[in-house]
Amino acid sequence: MPKPEGYKNRIELLQGTLDMLILQTLRWGSQHGYGIAQAIRSGSGDVLQVETGSLYPALHRLEKQEWIRSEWRSSEHNQRAKYYELTDAGRTHLSAQHSRWTQLSAAIANLMEPGEQS
Amino acid sequence: MSLRNLFQRRKMDQELDEELQSHFHLAIRERIERGEDPREAERAVRREFGNYALVRETTRGQWGWNLWEEIWQDARYALRGMRANRGFTVVAVSSLALGIGANTAIFSLVYAVLLRPLPVSHPEQLVELLQRYPGEPRRNGSWTLRDVEYYRQHNHAFSAITGMAIDNLAELRIEEAGMRVGIAEYVLGNYFAELGLRPALGRLIGQQDEKGSAVAVISWDLWTARFHRDPAVLGKRVQVDKASLEIIGVAPRDFTGLRIEAKTDLWTPAGQDRGFHLIARLKHGNAITQARTGMAQLFRFTIEERAARSSDPQLRQLRVEVETCAAGFSTVRDRMGNPLTMLMAISGVLLVLACLNLASMMLARGAGRAREMALRLGLGASRGRLLRQSLTESLLLSGAGTLAGAIVAWSGIGLFTRIIASGRPAERIQLDIQPEATVLLFAAGAALLTGLFFGLAPAWAALRSLPACALRPSGKAADTRGNRFFGKSLVAAQVSLSIVLLGAGVLFITHLLHLRSADLGFRRDYILLVNLDPSGPGIRGEQLSQLYQRLLERMNEIPGVRMASLSAPTPLHGAGASGFGTVEGVPQRPEDRRWISISWVGPRYFETMGTPLLAGREFTLRDQSNPRIAIINSTLASQYFGGQDPLGRRIILDHVTGMREPAAYEIVGVAGDANYMEIREKERRGIFLPAFRAGRVTAGTFVLRTDINPHSVAASAQRVAAEVAPSIPVTNTTTLSDQIEATIVPERLMAMLSGFFALLGALLAGIGIYGLLAYTVARRTNEIGIRMALGASRNGIVRMVLQEALAITGAGVAIGIPAAFWGHKLAAVFLAELSTTHVAAILLAAVAILAVALLASCIPARRAAAVDPMVSLRHE
Repeated sequence: MPKPEGYKNRIELLQGTLDMLILQTLRWGSQHGYGIAQAIRSGSGDVLQVETGSLYPALHRLEKQEWIRSEWRSSEHNQRAKYYELTDAGRTHLSAQHSRWTQLSAAIANLMEPGEQS
Repeated sequence: MSLRNLFQRRKMDQELDEELQSHFHLAIRERIERGEDPREAERAVRREFGNYALVRETTRGQWGWNLWEEIWQDARYALRGMRANRGFTVVAVSSLALGIGANTAIFSLVYAVLLRPLPVSHPEQLVELLQRYPGEPRRNGSWTLRDVEYYRQHNHAFSAITGMAIDNLAELRIEEAGMRVGIAEYVLGNYFAELGLRPALGRLIGQQDEKGSAVAVISWDLWTARFHRDPAVLGKRVQVDKASLEIIGVAPRDFTGLRIEAKTDLWTPAGQDRGFHLIARLKHGNAITQARTGMAQLFRFTIEERAARSSDPQLRQLRVEVETCAAGFSTVRDRMGNPLTMLMAISGVLLVLACLNLASMMLARGAGRAREMALRLGLGASRGRLLRQSLTESLLLSGAGTLAGAIVAWSGIGLFTRIIASGRPAERIQLDIQPEATVLLFAAGAALLTGLFFGLAPAWAALRSLPACALRPSGKAADTRGNRFFGKSLVAAQVSLSIVLLGAGVLFITHLLHLRSADLGFRRDYILLVNLDPSGPGIRGEQLSQLYQRLLERMNEIPGVRMASLSAPTPLHGAGASGFGTVEGVPQRPEDRRWISISWVGPRYFETMGTPLLAGREFTLRDQSNPRIAIINSTLASQYFGGQDPLGRRIILDHVTGMREPAAYEIVGVAGDANYMEIREKERRGIFLPAFRAGRVTAGTFVLRTDINPHSVAASAQRVAAEVAPSIPVTNTTTLSDQIEATIVPERLMAMLSGFFALLGALLAGIGIYGLLAYTVARRTNEIGIRMALGASRNGIVRMVLQEALAITGAGVAIGIPAAFWGHKLAAVFLAELSTTHVAAILLAAVAILAVALLASCIPARRAAAVDPMVSLRHE
């Protein structure tokens, strides 16, 4: 089942959205890059596939903005990996992004499906 | 982020690699754990991962670059470019080094001679009082105490007047340190107070020392050299000439007197009247013009007062001048100021030329790189970044040029000071040029300006380039008409500037040659001058006369010496004697009397010097019994006797230097005119008296005409002197032509430098033309190929390239010739006596630059002619 992974199911993420998802993932604890990608993928039911070429630039960008910080640690398999965790500033940023996202998605949903909601 | 980051970057790169690797391994491990075949898993992960290098680069891109890193990048980029174009870099750096170095060296000279303010309080208020006979250089140094007193009482413009007399040959004896000749100043009591100086040690001379107390203030240098800065120097004694003085203080470190050209060793109160140099301090807010009118009034009284005591017939022509003394006494400024200013201007032109040259070369290079630039613009490089990169490159070049220029300047300063110090003893300028903040600032400013100047042109061109055009397959269209015209006008400007430089070079070199070949009335080559100092051992009168006659005999016998004579002084030595003459029985009005130069010469003097004897005879040793005879020169003969025969007539000399009584001399000969003191002399009135007179000799310098290089008989002459007169030291041997060279120091300096600059300018213009044509030919290879394919002959192609060269050069010449004329006019304002060969000089310059242009276009033209149509068209 690895090969025919349906391209049709994958959605290109907007940059800001990816940042938010990464921060959201890190909310539950520190994680390395691979782990973050896996978490987003499984959390979205394999719909959201994060490209390495987007993930690592995003991680390094977030770190430069000091929303996350990193640390080298041993992973569960006794392998060294770079773990990222949220900073206080990152937490604040995440909650701001989150409420914006909620507003935005509600508004889009309203526009797209005017009958169903409210 | 900071500079630190620059050095952490390597570590960050490693960590990024490690991080991506760990991602890779984690992914594979997970797939294997899910039960995939390891090799399958790895391939899948690889596919999923995508382009490793791209991931890595995009991630690195997120780190961002701070300013330092970008500058560092730019610098490295520029350095790579410089290494890749070694020829260009070498030419650029060396022409900048010469331009900046020459300017810095000349500016340090200008600064030391013209600008450096005296280290005294409010130097801008200081003025000096000078006297001038019409047609002669102005002089300070012949004022009396009576004058000082009078001006102090009656002037309104000055808050104070002070002065000093200078003894340049004072014998200084310091207790344990022995004798040396130094410079002593005899100062008025208010000297130090009015200059606002504070002692480095002890006290300075004050009003209480006015009437010649036996005290002295020594210079910091003397204190250092002789007393090793021992504070116990106070109270020690120093003997100056005959007087024993107590040292009461040390002058401040940077104060070495008011002269630019010499450093004073010691100051002592002026006891008696001497020839004083006067300086005055302008009252606050008073202009120097007020002081001038005021002094002109007061000076009339001085003249009247002197006229009562003096019989100097020209006294009433004497004028007073008031000149600013902020940078020291004006003597050296009067002599060197104008030549130095002109050298500064010429070297400035050279620097501008070097800048234009670099600008045009960088422009051509920039146009050659238009594709690269356009590509980078297209890939998102900001124009600002490209501009900065171009400027970084030019600033880096100018920085390297400045560093090399510092070396050039350093050795240049050494050379200049040596040339300037090669003047005659009485006029010798011992300049003390140190690296000073002002000079360094000047050099740095020059470097920065040049960098910006030649960097802006290509940057401007880079900014204007249109990516879409430049990326067209031929890749050469970015080179717009405007840019091409700009490049050509840069080269034309170089041509015109180099004509200005060549014109100046030719002008000053011909001026020097003119001076060197001027008829001085004697033959200047193959003459050795041997000077002895008989003042020491106490040999006098008859004894000395005998000794000198024996010496003369032996000098005549030295192999290589054709004949020898004696003269005091020798021509153009810079010292002389003079008096007034009247013909016996012919009355003369006092105001018609003129100075006559007097020389005491030995037998066969005129034959030795190559001066023609027009009538009568030379002196012989037999004349000793009848010493009152004279030989006059032809100017004097025609002035005094008109068409009559002067032989046998008598001339009365009075006011002769060093003689009290007038005396009459019988004229026994008439000699051709010859120069006496200077290489340019308006009036050559000369009279010659016998050096050997009854029982006496006016001991002068032995004049040896040689058949061989005169330097090569110097050793024999010294040996002869040591044998015959072991107690009389030979103080100096030199050639007459060297002695004459010493009188034209500024001219030599100007000719040497302007000639050098002219060569450099022509070389740079040649490089500029070559660079432009080489670039044009490279750019037009396709076109040339097509032309040839369509039947153009190789000669036609060569003609096309030469035509372009001639068009540019012609434009430059058209602008350069009027500019050079204007430059010559300016030079003539500064140096009134420049010869009038201007047209020839400038035409010569234009012809020279045309030759350079043709030479420079040879290689590009041949390259163009060698274009193979097939090869060149295949590129399209």
